[in-house]
Amino acid sequence: MTKIAFPYIGDYHVPAKFFIEKALGKEVIMPPKITKKTVEIGNKNSPEFVCSPFKYTLGTLIEALEMGADTLIQLGGGCRYGYYAEVQEKILKDLGYNFEMVNLINNGKPNFLGIYRKLKKISPKISIFKFIYYGFLTSKMVIYMDIIDSYIRENIAFELEEGSFESLKKLMLLDFSKINNFKELKNKFNYYKEEFRKLKVRKPNDFYKVGIIGELYTIMEPASNYYLEKELAKHKIEIKRFTNATYLLFEKKRFVKKNIKHVNIKYKMGADATDNIIRTQYLCDEKYDGIIHIKSSFCTPEIAAMPIISKVASDNNVPVLFFSFDTNTIETGVHTRLEAFYDMLEMRKRK
Amino acid sequence: MDKVGIPRNIFYYYDKDIVETFLSELKIPYIVSPHTNKKILEDGLKLASDEMCLSFKIYLGHINYLKDKCDYVFVPRMCNLGSDNQMCTNFMSAYDIVNNLFDIKILNYDIDYDSKHFLKKGLFKIANELKCPSGKIRKAYKVALKTYKDKKKREISINEGNLKNNKIKILIVGHPYNVYDDFIGSSIIKYLKQNDVEVIFSDRFDSEITNKLSKKISKELYFKFSKENIGSIIYAKDKIDGVIFLSTFPCAPDSLVTEITERSIDIPNINLIIDDNASFAGLETRLESFLDVLKERKND
Amino acid sequence: MKDCYLGVDIGSISTKGVIIDDENNIIVSDYIWTEGSPTKAATKLVSILKDRLPENCVIKGIGTTGSARKLVGLLLDANIVKNEITAHAVGTLTFYPDVRTILEIGGQDSKIIILENGIITNYAMNTLCAAGTGAFLSSQAKRLGIEINDFGTYALKSKNPTKIAARCTVFAESDLVHKAQVGYLKEDIIAGLCKSVVLNYLNNVAKGKKIKTPIIFQGGVSKNKGVVKYFREVLNEDVIVDENGHLMGAIGIAVLARKNKIGKTYSLNVKNIKFETKARECLGCSNNCELLKVYKNNELIDSFGSKCGKF
Repeated sequence: MTKIAFPYIGDYHVPAKFFIEKALGKEVIMPPKITKKTVEIGNKNSPEFVCSPFKYTLGTLIEALEMGADTLIQLGGGCRYGYYAEVQEKILKDLGYNFEMVNLINNGKPNFLGIYRKLKKISPKISIFKFIYYGFLTSKMVIYMDIIDSYIRENIAFELEEGSFESLKKLMLLDFSKINNFKELKNKFNYYKEEFRKLKVRKPNDFYKVGIIGELYTIMEPASNYYLEKELAKHKIEIKRFTNATYLLFEKKRFVKKNIKHVNIKYKMGADATDNIIRTQYLCDEKYDGIIHIKSSFCTPEIAAMPIISKVASDNNVPVLFFSFDTNTIETGVHTRLEAFYDMLEMRKRK
Repeated sequence: MDKVGIPRNIFYYYDKDIVETFLSELKIPYIVSPHTNKKILEDGLKLASDEMCLSFKIYLGHINYLKDKCDYVFVPRMCNLGSDNQMCTNFMSAYDIVNNLFDIKILNYDIDYDSKHFLKKGLFKIANELKCPSGKIRKAYKVALKTYKDKKKREISINEGNLKNNKIKILIVGHPYNVYDDFIGSSIIKYLKQNDVEVIFSDRFDSEITNKLSKKISKELYFKFSKENIGSIIYAKDKIDGVIFLSTFPCAPDSLVTEITERSIDIPNINLIIDDNASFAGLETRLESFLDVLKERKND
Repeated sequence: MKDCYLGVDIGSISTKGVIIDDENNIIVSDYIWTEGSPTKAATKLVSILKDRLPENCVIKGIGTTGSARKLVGLLLDANIVKNEITAHAVGTLTFYPDVRTILEIGGQDSKIIILENGIITNYAMNTLCAAGTGAFLSSQAKRLGIEINDFGTYALKSKNPTKIAARCTVFAESDLVHKAQVGYLKEDIIAGLCKSVVLNYLNNVAKGKKIKTPIIFQGGVSKNKGVVKYFREVLNEDVIVDENGHLMGAIGIAVLARKNKIGKTYSLNVKNIKFETKARECLGCSNNCELLKVYKNNELIDSFGSKCGKF
């Protein structure tokens, strides 16, 4: 009996689980979300100077194996992320676990047919029709989730009833996971879109808008950024975030091609480095109050982008706060820097 | 005529024979920055971001050295040599970083086989930019390629010859811009040679062979130079006594590649990670004890 | 009666306290070692200040800052709790209204604050680790068998500072031990350490920031004359060190306490307050948050560390 598990990233385990159950007809093991324990076991078994997503995902995979998973799925690309799968497989096999590792994306480049072939190994009976149908249905679910998330990011800081957005989102994810076809999905999406609009918010005349840019895993997995977005919301800050699954899967290529002319950059610098320089320029042009750049320690493409981001922002007189997160970052340190960032925004505005 | 400056780091150790011959053939004057020295290192540290790898910090130091000594600084971009043969992202971003941090004119081409940007096209492009007569470019390219291939052949045959030696043989597995850099690898190699060790170099084998052999350690690895590095271990494994992994802090590909390789081979090995403050004293202790182990094994 | 305001800055190494009046005059001030117990240190310090406070003074505001600001804020019933970056800037601006750059190296943190027309326009803090901070210098002083207070004097004796790597504590230590054993002069090694702290700071924390004059250097490490010397040398600018530099955070938060006063009068009788914290891991959900519950006179007054907001 195949029991499949995969690492967490944001809330995307919901569509991932949906796809595996519906399209492959396989059971999914859901390990606990990333906790201190996850980080500890991930750290213990990882190379010392690897970027932290490796450590978080390895921890989750170990927890899943302990719960009986026998097939692990990993993906990623654009930098050394694409090479995680094989190294993690080796580490886990050396630890004595018996399982099948499936790396859905080779050489960091997603390929539709390649993914199909790999999934066929897990589930030989999967038909191309089912694969395509549920592939599209799941993609649509991801797109809807991301649309709702953007709305939440703009409004959650100003909710009148604390926790109203979060609890509604939980209901939405639960309902999304129960749909069977496009029509049901669309209905649920429309329903929740309305419900979210009904949630009461009070936006003051004067509030701060901050853009979050940086490395994709750290942006999308809140445990790895020490719940940065939540902290910002507490300070009544509206957040603009570009990176999500929709962007990475469907928009990235076009976005970079279309906008690279607006910055002094000639090439794709690897992973999302060029994207983030373009976004910095955009946030400056759109008169955002500040920019927060986040990444895991040792993230090479972002390290390359940072001096240029700094330069663009300082030419435009927009403050940038850089965070380099690791699994042992001290949370109070994060809060102190954020608080000071907020104070600074306030002082700048009062000027 | 415009003078070109070539930084002696990163790309240099891969393309020096081609680029230098090509420029000489076209009678384009050029200078190469000196071997890494204290000043170059310190300037690099000042210019680079704190978290950049030491090699790239040094590279920026070399650019800084050249910036007012020539009309153009040569900074190529290397993205991939085919989709299974990717470069570290620093090779992809070097041009844009240099272009944003320095106020200099840059001579640049792009190597990206996936987009059909080959070396030949790149060299022709820079020759045109330097206004060379087009009739001469083709010939210069041919001579450059031949010089490169001949040199490579010689290096390979020396390396292969050294493998037959009876001395203790250690394979240095590392990127050439680290192994041959004066601040990073040179002192280690000097120490080994002084102690009567035959030093074998991972980049001085037939790269097509080592590239294929790397599959025995890692099937999915897509970093070209890392593949050749670990392939050389498989190639030479029965003829060497030990392996030294040499990298700079914090090298992205090596953080994973060295991990999987160490877990896959059963040859004595040590992993040396060089930072800007590594004193040779610390290294010496590790090298000395490693040599002791190898000698003991050889005597058994 | 004279209205006064108490500011307490609880850092990882030392706890600083100051009481100022409406004209920013320092009435009393002191600092003691935190020794891993911020509430004990704060209680002790406030008692010391209270004993020295002239009788005609009444406390109309209390502010706390530093890494233990929240906890001590609860203990003292502070009317304002603010992060140390803001507090340092406000404190410095009180005495140097046109300051453009504040360099600060404390016990475990180092930061740079850039100001323009009296407001913070940019800042940065150390990211990777505590290398090059006060704690680092103290541990190196111990290794060399020197009192940390004599460190600066030693450094000034050197004519030829040795190059020491201060980027990482572990690397630095082995480098230092080696250099000492090879026979480098102690003062040259110490001067080298001071210089490397400066270079490390400028290459890491201050990277990409335009350092403009007036420049003020503060925090515990600003008491080290060697580090001050190399800041001046490397920046090639005048670097001001105020004798109250270590108090700027406390002064800043005292100023903020005045600006945010709520009309209440505070007692500094904190000695007899029973203040306790209890830590436990919450098993309520998979976050497994580490909850810290704070009790004042046996009454639960707050808890920290919950991610779901249930506590």
